[in-house]
Amino acid sequence: MVFRVSVMKALLGNKKEPAMIIAGAKESAGETLALAQSIFSQFRADFRYKEYVRGCLNCGECTTGCPAARFYDFSPREMLQVALSDDPMVLYNAMQEKIWACLQCYTCTMRCRFGNEIAGIISVMRELAVKNGLESTKELLKPYSRVLLKIMTTGNQVSPDMIQPDFFPDWGPSATSKQSELSLLRKAIPIDVLQVTDAAWEVSLQTSLELFEIYKEAGVVDMVAAVDPDLVEMIEDIVADWKDEFEEMKKEYDSKVKQDA
Amino acid sequence: MLNADQIRSVLEERAKNRSVSDKKVADVREEMWTLHDKGELTVIPITSKNSPLEVETLFGWKKKIPTDYLWHHKSCGQCGNIPGYPASLLWFMNQFGTHYLNEPHQTSCTAWNYHGTATSNPVALAAVAVRNWYRAYETGTFPLIHCGTSYGDYKEMRKLLIENREVREKVREIMKKLGKDLVIPEEIVHYSEWVHVMRERIAAMVRYPLANIVATVHEPCHYYKMVPEDAIYDPRVYGGQRPAPPTSVLLALGAQVSDYSTWYDCCGFGFRHILTEREFTRSFATLRKIRPMVEEAHSDVLITTDTGCVTTFDKSQWVGKVHGMDYSLPVLAEVQLAALAAGAHPYKIVQIHWHSTPVEKLLQKMDINHEQYRKEFTEYLNQLRNGAKPELLHAPRLEIEKYFAVNKGNVISEETK
Repeated sequence: MVFRVSVMKALLGNKKEPAMIIAGAKESAGETLALAQSIFSQFRADFRYKEYVRGCLNCGECTTGCPAARFYDFSPREMLQVALSDDPMVLYNAMQEKIWACLQCYTCTMRCRFGNEIAGIISVMRELAVKNGLESTKELLKPYSRVLLKIMTTGNQVSPDMIQPDFFPDWGPSATSKQSELSLLRKAIPIDVLQVTDAAWEVSLQTSLELFEIYKEAGVVDMVAAVDPDLVEMIEDIVADWKDEFEEMKKEYDSKVKQDA
Repeated sequence: MLNADQIRSVLEERAKNRSVSDKKVADVREEMWTLHDKGELTVIPITSKNSPLEVETLFGWKKKIPTDYLWHHKSCGQCGNIPGYPASLLWFMNQFGTHYLNEPHQTSCTAWNYHGTATSNPVALAAVAVRNWYRAYETGTFPLIHCGTSYGDYKEMRKLLIENREVREKVREIMKKLGKDLVIPEEIVHYSEWVHVMRERIAAMVRYPLANIVATVHEPCHYYKMVPEDAIYDPRVYGGQRPAPPTSVLLALGAQVSDYSTWYDCCGFGFRHILTEREFTRSFATLRKIRPMVEEAHSDVLITTDTGCVTTFDKSQWVGKVHGMDYSLPVLAEVQLAALAAGAHPYKIVQIHWHSTPVEKLLQKMDINHEQYRKEFTEYLNQLRNGAKPELLHAPRLEIEKYFAVNKGNVISEETK
């Protein structure tokens, strides 16, 4: 697409156009096949497989409405064929790159005459790519360390101080602020919990700890560790400190309440 | 164009078939109440205290929209980038004397992250939802979901928790560890549904008429393509073939709503694309949405009802100048436009200075003296710089709430209103 290439050239000079990460598997052919077979078994055993994949007429109704299909070598129809294929390598190969083109808008799901949940089955493939620590997924998620840190500790996806000119030059000069100006502008929002810069809103310590507990119990911490173990180690340290702080405050508050009574 | 009788017959047929494309759809609310009666879960009911109003959804099913005693389930993208979005909503609620709770004891739904990186799973998503719902439950309020994706996700999670015993058991176990019960709201309610049912009261407040304004609508995908049966439809809006809000609100406000060929397309947000593949997002948003809105519909303003869509359309336009596509089409949520029309301060309340695509030319067309307002805001910033206390829409949180909640069962008190 001319528009896309030339805009990037205008922004980045001669730098290579950012592309989706191509399969970076370093395993031997035998190891790759074993991993592919294991992922295939997990895929077919997932409770959502039977609910989401119902057969396909190859009508292409899903693809005609798909935004990603207009710009990428991607089609939801093909993804459904991948989900139906009995060849583990077909699934494995699609999981290296193609699955990440999907926008998760659910247009295909609404249009499918067969009742397939195509956006949903792509999510299952993505979860397995993370859970199994695919090299291509590690590469793809590298720019997300800061986002994952924010999500796992506050439940916020992005914070105002993450919108920096270096990362968002294409959003224009008024989309980003200097740090000093940012604090002032946040203070001018008429909602107290929004007057912070390091989170979209101030999240109480108890809430953050409960969220992390959910992530631990539901296996999300292990999932993230499969793609970024250092990040998980760092988050666990932060959470341990917060737990101590929380316990201390709780004790102090309870004794004050007792005294007042 | 169908006449009224034909529209009625199409809608009756749809209600009878209960299907999206060819999929038969069951009303999970029936099973939800059965599980409630069995003690499997607790439904957070909508009571008369919530002053509900009734609307119809895709198949003509009734849905109760609570209008009072609400728990604001904030959106991370709105609060982070478009703070005038929630501020406009709270401003209206203050005008109407609505009781609400807006507090730090909430996480986001985490679904932006899930749809972008897949670093979560159904049990975690459902548990996050229940944790937030429980907080509304224990404070005697009803959750009002600000974000379209949170709304879509919570509809899915409600369905999952009702239909999948295994997930339900796991979530119940996690909630037990957190000292909470498994609760599910009687309805999953998006803020735009509150605005929709309040539209006549909002229209009565209009100070700057919108008769001159041509608006184009982008319907957020996660509002009506995820669990479509929960979205509000009205035969008076596009013959019941498209969701009613926010078109219904614009019509009530007296704006001209103009149609365009790609109304069904998504915005191009893509969850991960908006962060790390923006060459796609901005191309799609500009070529498939902004351009037709301007060239086909001659739009003065793009109106939508979701975080990601406002962000995408607003932030993607500046770079279009590289290709001579300087559309500069102002992008607002319907509640922001309504607040401007009702006389809310464009900078202090609607916070238009956070928008990348300037909104001032729209204000000019609405006869709003934005220069005067800008001057007032600059003075206000100077006062804040010199240590003045910020003006707030509601009382600030208690100091201890930085750490934990202390107001269980204590719905927002009178002195904070």
